[in-house]
Amino acid sequence: MITVRNLVKRMGSQEVLKGVDLEVHDGETLVVVGRSGCGKSVLLRHLVGLLQPTSGEVLVDGENIVGLDERQLAAIRRKVGILFQGGALFDSMTVEENVAFPLREQGVRDPAELRRRVDEAIEVVDLAGTGAKMPDALSGGMRKRVALARSIIGSPSHILYDEPTTGLDPVVSDSINHLIRRLQKRLRVTSVVVTHDMKSAFHVADRVAYLHEGKIYFLGSVDALRASTDPQILDFIEGRSGETDE
Amino acid sequence: MMLIRYLGRRTLGASAYAGALVLLGREIFAAFFVGQPRWKLIPAHILDVGARSQLVVMVTGAFTGAVFAAQTFFQFHELGMDSAVGPVVAISMCRELGPVLTGLMVAGRVGAAMSSEIGTMKVTEQIDALRALAVHPIDYLVIPRLLAVMVSMPLLVGLCIAFGILSGYFVGVKLLGIQSAYFMSNLLAFTDWSDVMMGLVKGFFFGIVIAVVSCHKGLTAAEGAVGVGRAATSAVVASSLGILIINFFLTLVLNFVFSA
Repeated sequence: MITVRNLVKRMGSQEVLKGVDLEVHDGETLVVVGRSGCGKSVLLRHLVGLLQPTSGEVLVDGENIVGLDERQLAAIRRKVGILFQGGALFDSMTVEENVAFPLREQGVRDPAELRRRVDEAIEVVDLAGTGAKMPDALSGGMRKRVALARSIIGSPSHILYDEPTTGLDPVVSDSINHLIRRLQKRLRVTSVVVTHDMKSAFHVADRVAYLHEGKIYFLGSVDALRASTDPQILDFIEGRSGETDE
Repeated sequence: MMLIRYLGRRTLGASAYAGALVLLGREIFAAFFVGQPRWKLIPAHILDVGARSQLVVMVTGAFTGAVFAAQTFFQFHELGMDSAVGPVVAISMCRELGPVLTGLMVAGRVGAAMSSEIGTMKVTEQIDALRALAVHPIDYLVIPRLLAVMVSMPLLVGLCIAFGILSGYFVGVKLLGIQSAYFMSNLLAFTDWSDVMMGLVKGFFFGIVIAVVSCHKGLTAAEGAVGVGRAATSAVVASSLGILIINFFLTLVLNFVFSA
């Protein structure tokens, strides 16, 4: 379980998060939606200690990770996989080496086991046969799939997704959504997905949190979000800016 | 008033930068005891830093030695001191020219590459990915590079010195007609192992400057291609200045150490 309590983050003179409270239950997929620049990715990075808050608490499986240094965070990070917006694949390594990286770092040395687990992870994300390619030779969607394979190979209990469908065409986005859902069923992990793509949110979410002006404005089920009559939420879901052509 | 404000700002900036380097140095030092440095990566970095810098260092040493021998000969010849060319070239190459020029060449070649590689990893979130995979960037990126430069630099300095002296011999004896026996006997009489050691020790410390400054510039690169470009440029400038400044203090200390 991931718990966020009164999380405040100031960056320079700007207060990005103004007291976020959130609870992600075991095994559920919580989607955090909100407009670009509202602090969704900043919130996500706090969940794995990549950013330290100005104040507040982040608890992963009951352990407060705020204030821990990089080395103390290592144990927590082994339990959490993260898919970065651009994939963040190591560009000097092949697909296979990228996917095997977490295992090698965990001390797995047996070539047969490495091969078996890498092949398995690459197969889960439907990329069989691409192991020898370099990240540069892959499309955006394939890169995200490889990054996802790298995130799940260490068998994390939590997976964080930062804008998994941003920059992808609708068909690839749909396949990524299905993939997230499939992983959810297969691995039974706790997931947090940050996105502004409502189609993706409706597809993968068990619950949705709407982040607005640095706070959680709405938290509830997909059905509750769909049924909402709040103009602020309706404008966001339907993509209305309030501007006219005149 | 403007000038004072400018100088004050620059001084504060330089102090903050020096402080950041010290903090990085502390982290690196601590990593040797509490971290898990990736020793296996060191040979690949030695190949990149050391082996691939050999040609540039040999050419630098050879032409510096050749020019220095020629210039010294033209001045000393007037005084009938042709045979002093050997020791002057050898001592200069060992104590100053070898280590400083090697340092500057390696700072240009390796420092820029190091900072832009790490900077690119930073702006493309690869360093965050490392951190998220529970791998400390100091253990994985900085220490292997630092140790590779620390091992490579004294060897490169030795190479530079050797080629400088060899080309000095060639220019002095074969081109300008100095008697080989006088050249060699004076060279051996006035050049000591302490001169060579001074150059190698300087190279070792210059290597630390290059690696720490370049890694720091990479790790703190600002977003985007411009940020990476700036990191590479400023890594070369800062390492080169660092080498020249630290060279002065090393000269004072090492002269005291080796004369004791």
